[in-house]
Amino acid sequence: MSIADRPEHDPAHCREMFAHLSEYLDRELDETACREIEQHLRHCDACRACCATLARTVALCRGMPAHAVPETMSTRLREAIEKLRSGDGTVSGAGPD
Amino acid sequence: MSKPRVSKQQRTNDRDASLIEAINAGETDRFYELVQRYQQALFNFGLRICGQAADAEDMVQDTFLNVFKYLGTFRFESQFKNWLYRIAMSVCIKRRRRSKFAPERELSLDEFLPGDEQIAAETPAWAREPLDRLLDEELARRIEDAILALPESYRPVLVLRDLEGFSTEETAQILNLTSGNVKVRLHRARLFVREQLKEYFNHEHRRSA
Ligand SMILES: [Zn+2]
Repeated sequence: MSIADRPEHDPAHCREMFAHLSEYLDRELDETACREIEQHLRHCDACRACCATLARTVALCRGMPAHAVPETMSTRLREAIEKLRSGDGTVSGAGPD
Repeated sequence: MSKPRVSKQQRTNDRDASLIEAINAGETDRFYELVQRYQQALFNFGLRICGQAADAEDMVQDTFLNVFKYLGTFRFESQFKNWLYRIAMSVCIKRRRRSKFAPERELSLDEFLPGDEQIAAETPAWAREPLDRLLDEELARRIEDAILALPESYRPVLVLRDLEGFSTEETAQILNLTSGNVKVRLHRARLFVREQLKEYFNHEHRRSA
């Protein structure tokens, strides 16, 4: 069945398109898949509304302001590193792997 | 496992390469430059993952101390920044027992499928508004709360992708996941956050309608 013949309100198809909305927004889909989603969005109010708010959610996350570093943290960090540099003190905890 | 050979290209693509080489060659006082470069990003990452400033501070401290200890073993097989976040994640996991996390559960796609909710036929007007007019303090707090309410296996994926700006592949590498897995978890995490902001979206929509 070609994309054009596909019944646009088929819930299984809708679910399938809905599952890939983030990849669509992230431009991680190939051209065919992109076109299929765009075709679906033209016909499905629910997915179109979801896509708009999902895109907004992502934009809001990307625009989140950063918190300033507490001065106490920098001071404490400097002291701990100074200790290590002078060969004193031990590091416990996690390594890279 | 044999270590992959690292091309000179990979090393010169890393903005931290010359600084790391200097530190590893003995200029350990320059380690503070590395701290300066990343402490704010790491602190914010810690806040998003742990929720508490005190936990985030401890995480940053442990991370940098481990970086100091292991920097000599860093071989530019990934960007330094990605390696740094890998260490930060393993510190978070070690500390997890001591901090409160949202209950772990699977998020299924079906719980987010659009249903009887009010549907705007056209893209609502607010969706075209500039972001700075929308992202006020109250909204930022709501987003932070929504992120912290995410189950543990979804939160770092969303934070790394949508707040820290890592690519799908980098996120997969940092979290030891496949790219496919990152995409699936990211989508559900975004849908979860979107769900928490529904009231805000409806309100914005009504206001602009
Ligand atoms: Zn649909």
